Amino acid sequence: MTPAWRPWLYFGPAALIAGGLAVALTATSDHEQHPGQTIALFLFVSSSFILAGLIGWTRRPWNRTGTLMVAVGFGVLIGVLGEANHPIPFTLGALFGSLFIAAFVHLLLAYPSGRLLSRRARILVGAGYTIAFLAPLAESMFAAREKCKPHACPDNLVLVSHDHAAHVVATTVWTAASVVLFAAVVMLLLGRWRETTPGLRRILRSVYLFGGLSIVLLAIGFVVTPFSGVGAIFVSVALIATFTTVPFIFLAGLLGTAIARGAGVGAIFSSVPERASPGEVQEGLRNALRDETAVVAYWYEEDEHYVDVEGNRLDLPEDTRRRVVTPFSGVGAIFVSIALIATFTTVPFIFLAGLLGTAIARGAGVGAIFSSVPERASPGEVQEGLRSALRDETAVVAYWYEEDEHYVDVEGNRLDLPEDTRRRVVTRLDYGDQPVAAIVHDAALLQEPELLEGVANAARIALERDKLLVEVRARAQRYRALLQAMPDLMFRISRDGRYISYNAPNERDLVNGEVVGRLLWDRLPTDLADRVLASGRAALGGDPGVIEYHLDFEDGTRRHYEGRFAASGDDEFLMIVREITERKQQQEELEASRQRIVAAGDAARRKLERNLHDGAQQRLVSLSLSLRLAQNQVAKSPVRAEELLEASREELMQALEELRELARGIHPAVLTDRGLEAALEALAGRAALPVEIDCIPDVELPPPVEAAAYYVVSEALANITKYAGASAVKVSIGQVDGYALVEVVDDGVGGADPGRGSGLSGLSDRVASLNGKLVIDSPPGAGTRIRAEIPLE
Amino acid sequence: MTVLIVDDHPSFRASARTLLESEGYQVVGEAENGADAVKAAQELHPDLVLLDVQLPDIDGFKVAEQLRRLVDPPAVVLTSSRDRADYGPCINVCGACGFVPKADLSGAAIAALLVA
Repeated sequence: MTPAWRPWLYFGPAALIAGGLAVALTATSDHEQHPGQTIALFLFVSSSFILAGLIGWTRRPWNRTGTLMVAVGFGVLIGVLGEANHPIPFTLGALFGSLFIAAFVHLLLAYPSGRLLSRRARILVGAGYTIAFLAPLAESMFAAREKCKPHACPDNLVLVSHDHAAHVVATTVWTAASVVLFAAVVMLLLGRWRETTPGLRRILRSVYLFGGLSIVLLAIGFVVTPFSGVGAIFVSVALIATFTTVPFIFLAGLLGTAIARGAGVGAIFSSVPERASPGEVQEGLRNALRDETAVVAYWYEEDEHYVDVEGNRLDLPEDTRRRVVTPFSGVGAIFVSIALIATFTTVPFIFLAGLLGTAIARGAGVGAIFSSVPERASPGEVQEGLRSALRDETAVVAYWYEEDEHYVDVEGNRLDLPEDTRRRVVTRLDYGDQPVAAIVHDAALLQEPELLEGVANAARIALERDKLLVEVRARAQRYRALLQAMPDLMFRISRDGRYISYNAPNERDLVNGEVVGRLLWDRLPTDLADRVLASGRAALGGDPGVIEYHLDFEDGTRRHYEGRFAASGDDEFLMIVREITERKQQQEELEASRQRIVAAGDAARRKLERNLHDGAQQRLVSLSLSLRLAQNQVAKSPVRAEELLEASREELMQALEELRELARGIHPAVLTDRGLEAALEALAGRAALPVEIDCIPDVELPPPVEAAAYYVVSEALANITKYAGASAVKVSIGQVDGYALVEVVDDGVGGADPGRGSGLSGLSDRVASLNGKLVIDSPPGAGTRIRAEIPLE
Repeated sequence: MTVLIVDDHPSFRASARTLLESEGYQVVGEAENGADAVKAAQELHPDLVLLDVQLPDIDGFKVAEQLRRLVDPPAVVLTSSRDRADYGPCINVCGACGFVPKADLSGAAIAALLVA
């Protein structure tokens, strides 16, 4: 016998003996007019409390409510001593017969934990016991004349006098004290009721209603009895009806889910180990159903038939009167069915259940979760189901999100479990060592551990499945956040080209605002829509690609975009769009600049060829002809031959000079040999107008920068000579913040136009090719300033 | 044999005149561009036109074609400071008798082309 049954061991026989004594005392009483009714009432009231109290004590050893109920029951039996014919038990019965009322007040104020948690309650209970002892004592000391029938009452051993005045005073004082006490108790209960949580209120409701009513009726009875016999009888009947209901209400409140747990759903969870094998599940079900022959058949989807726990094919038998088959279409259905069977197997409890009122609904708590939660429920629906099963509208389900190791709510948002408080606590649902979920609920549910445990066990299985769903949702939410944070335009598009959703950080990138539900061809030019769909389908086929395209907007602008594709599921893809107009423009600019550089190179070579042809080559041709003439004349006319040779020599000198000039044009040798300053001085020396050079001494520039600087000055001087009509030029070369600065300033007519000749734009390209820039400032009539800034790195 | 010299470089015209005259040719005129060349040929009816390929207005090949269409077309010898190979097949199809590089110009070289 387990220790939990020990109260039955002691108090069961004690109650039987006390009951037997009560029957004997009442039956042999010489001053009891209605021994049958009296003993029935005493036994009914006391046994109600003792029986309910023992059940509660056994099921909730740590909760003192059961103990207190047993105390009330025995307290009631003390009153039977008043039936004794002997003066001593008779007097004891009179003195201690009211103690059960104090115990009852104690029980009421200590509910539901069985402990007095507030000072006020302790004071009231202390006062209750005091009054319950002193009031009968005072009444017995100054008792009224005897009213016992058919024989006189036994002697009252504490009687002082039969003085009527003293009797009235004593009775009035103690009645008033009792009424004040009852009022204080009712006030305290009302105060608690107002402050309590909805969950606790549910537990307290019936107990407070019937217990409070009993107290009120007792108070009324105390006041009415001395004045009205009929009223007293009426109040007594009501009181007895109420009072005898109370123990069952207490019991129902105390046990909560006991009925369902005893017979059904709770049992399967206590019988089946976590991570059970199919065989263990069947064992657990057999225990729960109390049918050792029950067989569990599992649906084997691949071959479309049932198998037994060993995995062997099992064809379901036809239902007979002896065996029926209950098909389970889902986890929810399994337990709904079990709950139904459980309800039927609890028939013996129906009588009790009728007395327990709401207990049936509460007992079915575990089943309720499954009947409240639809099959394939969303996490939100599971939470709703749990709320309704626990009857706590504020309960919150938290799912363990393994990837990030924290809990999330049904929406997938992070949820940190709160600390337990007096009002809200957390029940963790773990599967083995692995967290699955947690329920944050009203602390009052701790008073219904079976309900909580049953629901938690059932929920664990459902939540294990939902956890996956919530994890997916949490992941989806993370991706959503990622996508929203992206500066790019994003479209989700179905395989058939329909927009599912989009994210547009910049609305101006949308050709039109209507996106979702439209087809690609509704919004984009046909050929582009075709390209998008082809690329999207390629991405779905595992070949993500990139396309570039442009769109012409209503405001006349053309913008360039790059679209990247990625599969996002079996039947949809993502198109991530980034504007590349600026890059495209830079690319075009670069392209044009390259073409100009190539063209300038071609032009330079053409010019060089022309110069060679027209200059040095012509001179050499003439030279050749002169030499041939001289050759012809040597014999005939030596004088003429000498003249021709002299002319040839001059021709040769000129040819040499032209070649030198040409070579300088290709690349100035002095720049290579002597550096930029010397080259600029040579340029200045050949210039047709005075040139002042301001060059930082020993400035070291990379060769390409040096060459660019030289040509800027050279071209500028050539332009000035040709167009500016200037009287002087100043050239300065400097180096600032990693840039080489080249500046040519003249005092000419200004108005230089870079677009006019190829010289300035060629220079601009040359400078740009080194990532530098050329600025030309040439207001008409105010000279020209050409400034090149070229980075040294 | 009467010769018309067409070239935009005065120095070459002078040298060529001296050279050819020294070898017995009679230089009857000079022109410095294509249009003047055609005009001069119509007026002077030279036996031979020594024609530079590169002229400021139209090139020597086109001038040669125009000369060929004259009533009494002169023989045309093209010349240039560039090499014959630089012009590919153009010389053969324009109706000229041949090509002589400027540096190799001589009465004998022209005579050889006319005979051929």
